[in-house]
Amino acid sequence: MFAPNLASARAAAGVVRAFFAEHGGLEPELFACELCVAEACSNAVVYAKGAAREEPGCVDFVCDAHALELRVTDHTAGFDWPDPFPTLPGDSDRGRGLFIIHSLMDDVQYLRGAKENVLVMRKKRSGLPLARAVESLEPIEPSLADTQRQLAECTHAISAMARELCFRTETLSAVFRCCAELGRAGASAGFEERLLADMLHLTSADWYVLRLVSPDERELRVAAVSTSELATAPLTLADLGEMPASLEAHVAASRTSVRFDARESLASEPLRAVGANANGVIYPLYSSDALVGTIAVGRRQGDFAFDALHEAVGRTFADFLAIQTAGLRHREQDLQTKLIAHELDIARVIQRSLLPVALPQLSGFGLAGGWHSARDVGGDFYDAIALGEHSLLLVVADVMGKGVPAALFAMNLRGLLRGMSALFEDPAQLLGRLNRLLHEELSAVGMFITAQVAVVDLRKRTVTAAGAGHGPLLYVAEDGKRVLPLATQGMPLGVLPDVDYRSLTVSLGRSGTLLMHTDGLTDMRNAAGEEFGQERLVSWLGANHGRGRSATELRGRLASALNRFRGDTAMTDDQAFLLLAEERVEDVREPAMRLPSSRRKHDTLVPADAGDA
Amino acid sequence: MIIKTEGQTLSVSEIPELTAVNSGAFREEVTAALRDSPALIEINLSKTRFMDSSGLGALFSVYRTVGAANGAKLRLLNPTTEIRQLLELTQMQQLFEIVHR
Repeated sequence: MFAPNLASARAAAGVVRAFFAEHGGLEPELFACELCVAEACSNAVVYAKGAAREEPGCVDFVCDAHALELRVTDHTAGFDWPDPFPTLPGDSDRGRGLFIIHSLMDDVQYLRGAKENVLVMRKKRSGLPLARAVESLEPIEPSLADTQRQLAECTHAISAMARELCFRTETLSAVFRCCAELGRAGASAGFEERLLADMLHLTSADWYVLRLVSPDERELRVAAVSTSELATAPLTLADLGEMPASLEAHVAASRTSVRFDARESLASEPLRAVGANANGVIYPLYSSDALVGTIAVGRRQGDFAFDALHEAVGRTFADFLAIQTAGLRHREQDLQTKLIAHELDIARVIQRSLLPVALPQLSGFGLAGGWHSARDVGGDFYDAIALGEHSLLLVVADVMGKGVPAALFAMNLRGLLRGMSALFEDPAQLLGRLNRLLHEELSAVGMFITAQVAVVDLRKRTVTAAGAGHGPLLYVAEDGKRVLPLATQGMPLGVLPDVDYRSLTVSLGRSGTLLMHTDGLTDMRNAAGEEFGQERLVSWLGANHGRGRSATELRGRLASALNRFRGDTAMTDDQAFLLLAEERVEDVREPAMRLPSSRRKHDTLVPADAGDA
Repeated sequence: MIIKTEGQTLSVSEIPELTAVNSGAFREEVTAALRDSPALIEINLSKTRFMDSSGLGALFSVYRTVGAANGAKLRLLNPTTEIRQLLELTQMQQLFEIVHR
């Protein structure tokens, strides 16, 4: 120990010199040790602030034939040991002390703690001075007491070295064990716990708290604890310039490990559950400059303090844990990204296969469908099935949800519709049956489908429609002028096991125009945030039907109107619609049913096509 | 420590060590003696057994004061092997004429 003044600090360096001189040290080594201790002790005195000015410093030193170690404990605020070491200050009368220590010692570590810091300096000893010392000792008959003392020192040194070797070997074994486990598929879960159990064992600690940075990088969340009462709420990571609210947040912000012991009050700390007598170390975990988390480790009773070796072992574990955790996170993110992309690819393939290659066309009427996909794959689709020479079943549906599940349900619905269309003449009965068949599967995954089914009798010029949670279809009234909504009401498919749907029948007006659509059309917004809306759709149909325009032509016009309204605003939902329109007799050149020769692309309002062009 | 002026030469000798403990006093006393504008300053280190970075800082301070006072010669006499090596390690041998006699 040395009193907190420069004269005592200087005297401590003299004591160190005398000790090594007694143990066979020769001049260059003695001078180096004396100088480095003098530098460290002077710094301990000069840089102590406040109450720390009254705290004595401490020098520990030990040597054997091959190496010596010096430890100087200070109570300053501490500093980060420069790495890499800067060049020598050429134009100042200060700043040479650390450079001298760095140059004269073989290994230097500065361990920072909450109340004290330890500068550990190690130097290899050349064999020569010791040999000379032994020679010089030969003529002297050593006393029994001297021999016993030397023997005790040697035993102590050997046991310290054996201990360190044991620690290092065990640490390395734990690291290798962990690497081997991580190499096996599926072994990554819980690897932290296994590694930290090894760490507890090696450092004689009895508790730990591992916190990892949350995905949004705002919090430190508990990822593993030695006992459940240590699992506390997430800690907010301090912004730049903000005072961290806890020791762990401070370690995360400063990226410097902190020691604490029973003298400090943990009452307001998240770690308080370790008890009032606990001590330990908190290490920052970081990999490639990115903060990964913190690990706090220690003992509940303060009768055992972490020594430098425990701390070094802890540091090794912390570094390894940081690298492995960061590596695992990267691998998981990579896999997740690939899975999502793959799922979207599958969903797109399914979705495209949902749209009919060709729509049936009946004499005197044209039919055209439009479909536009938003960025995420959804479950909107339309279909049309000829029920006879003069009758058509039209369907527009929207499966709630995105991705593969929505696409699969849409596919299922389409298959059922195609299979059952001939069995039910009444759309309400068809919907009721579909609901009973799909309810169990849909409700199991919390999904539902809105759909509208219409049967068009072209001879009677009537439309009979039923809806399951879907918006109204639009048709031109008997007067051939007004566009009216046909509001079919009913529960979406999959909500209740048994639902009675109701069909409504209306007559088609002169132009025979009918528009069925999903809510992607009416809910679409422009840059100003306005919805396209039902009213605008009704006005559009009122202004465009008739006039000899075919279904295909109307579809093109509707697509243009929708695109014009949307402008550059991104689409957030799919759009699907079906347009039926009467054709003027003179325009019908092939009254029989015909199909287009090839599949069309469906990526941008290019629908299956059954009207004339 | 003895500080003597003989003619144009200022001699500083009998310095057992130059450390954080006494470097401040050394700096003040030598700087005060520089007021007589000597042409040569000789700091005799033959008795100096130990020097630390504060001692080096004091020597550097004298070097700077002499330089500012327009170029008197600055000479270190007979440093021990260890102190000469310390001066070399910190590249301060470039600033002084080191003489053994």
